[in-house]
Amino acid sequence: MKRFFDSELDAFRSHLIQMGEKSIEQVRGAVRALVDADVELARKVRAGDDELDRLEVLIDEEGVRYMSLRNPIATDLRLVVVGMKAGSDLERVGDEANNIAKRAIRLAAEPPLKEYIDIPRMAEIAQEMLRDALDCFLQHDNDKALAVIRRDEEVDALNKQIYRELAGFMVENPATISRALELMFIAKSIERIADHATNIAEEMVYLAKGEDIRHNDELKKGPKAE
Amino acid sequence: MSTAQPLPAAPAVSPKAAPAPATPPIVEIEKLDFFYGDKQALFDVTLGIPEKQVTAFIGPSGCGKTTLLRCLNRMNDLVDVARIGGGEIRIDGINIYDPRVDVIELRKRVGMVFQKSNPFPKSIYENIAYGLRLHGIKHKDKLDEIVEKSLRGAALWDEVKDRLHDSGMGLSGGQQQRLCIARAIAVEPDVILMDEPCSALDPIATAKVEELIHELKTRYTIVIVTHNMQQAARVSDQTAFFYLGKLIEFAGTQKIFMNPSNPQTESYVSGHFG
Amino acid sequence: MTPRPDFPSRRSILRQPSWAARWEASLFLLLRVATYGVLLAAAVVFLDIGWKGGRVVFRAEAPFINVPFLTEAPESLHVLKLPDGATLKMGDREYRAFNEAHPEQVKAARSETYVYSAGGIFPNIVGTVLLVLGAMVIALVLGVCSAIYLSEYAKEGPLVRLVRLSIANLAGVPSIVFGLFGFGLFVVALGWNVSLLAGWFTLAFMVLPIIITASEEALRAVPKGLREGALALGATKFQTIRTNVLPYALPGILTSSVLAIARVAGETAPIMFTAAYVVRDQMPWQVEKWTDFFFQGVMALPYHIYVVASKIPQNDYTRDVQYGTAFVFLFTVAAIALSAILLRARLRKQYRW
Repeated sequence: MKRFFDSELDAFRSHLIQMGEKSIEQVRGAVRALVDADVELARKVRAGDDELDRLEVLIDEEGVRYMSLRNPIATDLRLVVVGMKAGSDLERVGDEANNIAKRAIRLAAEPPLKEYIDIPRMAEIAQEMLRDALDCFLQHDNDKALAVIRRDEEVDALNKQIYRELAGFMVENPATISRALELMFIAKSIERIADHATNIAEEMVYLAKGEDIRHNDELKKGPKAE
Repeated sequence: MSTAQPLPAAPAVSPKAAPAPATPPIVEIEKLDFFYGDKQALFDVTLGIPEKQVTAFIGPSGCGKTTLLRCLNRMNDLVDVARIGGGEIRIDGINIYDPRVDVIELRKRVGMVFQKSNPFPKSIYENIAYGLRLHGIKHKDKLDEIVEKSLRGAALWDEVKDRLHDSGMGLSGGQQQRLCIARAIAVEPDVILMDEPCSALDPIATAKVEELIHELKTRYTIVIVTHNMQQAARVSDQTAFFYLGKLIEFAGTQKIFMNPSNPQTESYVSGHFG
Repeated sequence: MTPRPDFPSRRSILRQPSWAARWEASLFLLLRVATYGVLLAAAVVFLDIGWKGGRVVFRAEAPFINVPFLTEAPESLHVLKLPDGATLKMGDREYRAFNEAHPEQVKAARSETYVYSAGGIFPNIVGTVLLVLGAMVIALVLGVCSAIYLSEYAKEGPLVRLVRLSIANLAGVPSIVFGLFGFGLFVVALGWNVSLLAGWFTLAFMVLPIIITASEEALRAVPKGLREGALALGATKFQTIRTNVLPYALPGILTSSVLAIARVAGETAPIMFTAAYVVRDQMPWQVEKWTDFFFQGVMALPYHIYVVASKIPQNDYTRDVQYGTAFVFLFTVAAIALSAILLRARLRKQYRW
């Protein structure tokens, strides 16, 4: 049965989607600005963070209002709770993108340390994870969410690899230390973005099945999941 | 509503969550004192009921909310010992307790739906035609037209159109209550008073009536008394909290349920009362 | 079951013999015997009247019903014992004709006359029906009006309570007092003489307390919600009562009123000074002016029973008339009561809440 306040849930849902799209766009922009040494783009990315902040506030407000006035139960309740948590994660994704953009502006003033290969690849994976997590939100797709969670290890591995590589640069030539550090932080940021995507995916499992799989490695990578 | 901050533009969907700002009041209650015999039931109540919105009266049993509701169409006149001790209630600027007021005309302007659904033991058609005949509408075509319009307005037409001449008592509880609402809107009142209209209904029937209330507010001013706070939260735009005959707090529903100013309101809406 | 040491008087829920159980069983027996006793007494009365009266009213051969008994006026019975030992029984008119034709036989015979022992009871039936109908109309109009006033309009107060108390007491007043009251007021003071009108009012006053009480009850039984519903739509108080209270109370009012009337229809005392004639030759519709209709006395069944049972010498021939009249009378009352019950069933179906 359609309820007269269902439109409020629809609005809540679409704000969250909107926020997800925006955060992916921010990550993509920040990494592109880094690769292309495009200061203009980096500035644009930094300015765009405000919208994410506003959306997060809006989602929280709608969520609290819905819980106060509409007495949500079961799926509705999970949707609101998960939505608010995911909103918070997406806002953090935006913050990390902002950080990357900030460091990209600094790096643009100096010659590139090396050709960027692993960082864009890592960022690509993180963005895919975000997108998949959001798809799960739309489709309530449990398996896809579990796949996102498993991909986090790929990102972690890439991060470690980049770390080792950059550490090598710093040992060989101390003049590269500041640049290498910036890149390390950027890799760390991307790794965190992937972590947030993982969080969101976990939340989506909770939304779809009502099961909390956080800190439950067996569920995430157990034989059942393979 | 003062609490709501300006919302950012949300291009995808306009946020329906935004609370409706209070419209100008159609019913003004000013410093109303009300007595049953020696017992004072309402103390100095001042409240403006905004037009074409849903205003909910909440509060524990015996807090005076139903008394106040029944003051608005002078149903309290039926109680011998009931009397106004002071203050006034104005509808369109006229004090309805002025001796020159025609109570019959007042009740045609201010309709009422009761706690216990009370369809007349007549056919569904006659239930609605009853009020129309009181208004002197006798022409069959006109009656047919308004009966259909009212039943549609009460979201009941599709369920009863094939048995208009069956008894209204044969309907289910929720349908009976919607029939009573159809009966009330048939005479085109300005204000509809609802005294716990869903207290005897199951959740599905309740949801239908709430849906109906939500639709009706585009055309009528609705005042609803309810014990069910979630219902007040769902259907109303403004909420008034009464306790021991006093108006404790009156504000937008969102404010009352999310951030009430008065600690008594807070403890009542959060279930800590008593 | 969990043992509850803190509550030692707990016992098994299995039945155990006890004095209390035996006492209860004997009490039930007593109640049962009392009920059957009442039933037995009623059965004896009805069977006695039904058997003996039925023999008068019904016949073994076609048309199976003693038509003259139901369609003729009461007459004196003349019994002629002829010298040859034969016995002739004939009614008054027959006797006069016989006398014209055979005066010598009548002279020779030993003749005995028993009043009211021949003919039928048609005028009595008609009179009773007229009395009941008129009284019912008057009682209903007065009773329903006062009940509406008392339950809908009058403000509760000492005065209304006093009125109610008086009405309740009125119901307990013996019927002979009503008869004398009717005689004093209608017959003497208002000068209506012994008449239908006086009888109507006397009977009506007698059932009024029952009708008012029953009507008030029926009006009160109409849910408050129906009144409020109508008032909230802008109906006046009178419109509400007329269209949305009275119709629903009517089944109850009519039923209890008709039952009450059926009861007073059997009363002799109220009509014997006000409306009933021992004998009257004209039928009620044989009047010169239509107004005379209201000012004529009538014969009535209960009074007829009273007269044939107590005012004339008893003999074998009056017995038939007594039982026959009682039988017809019981049947009439039962028919009125039955019609009330059927009416209620019909109206109830129409309005249900």
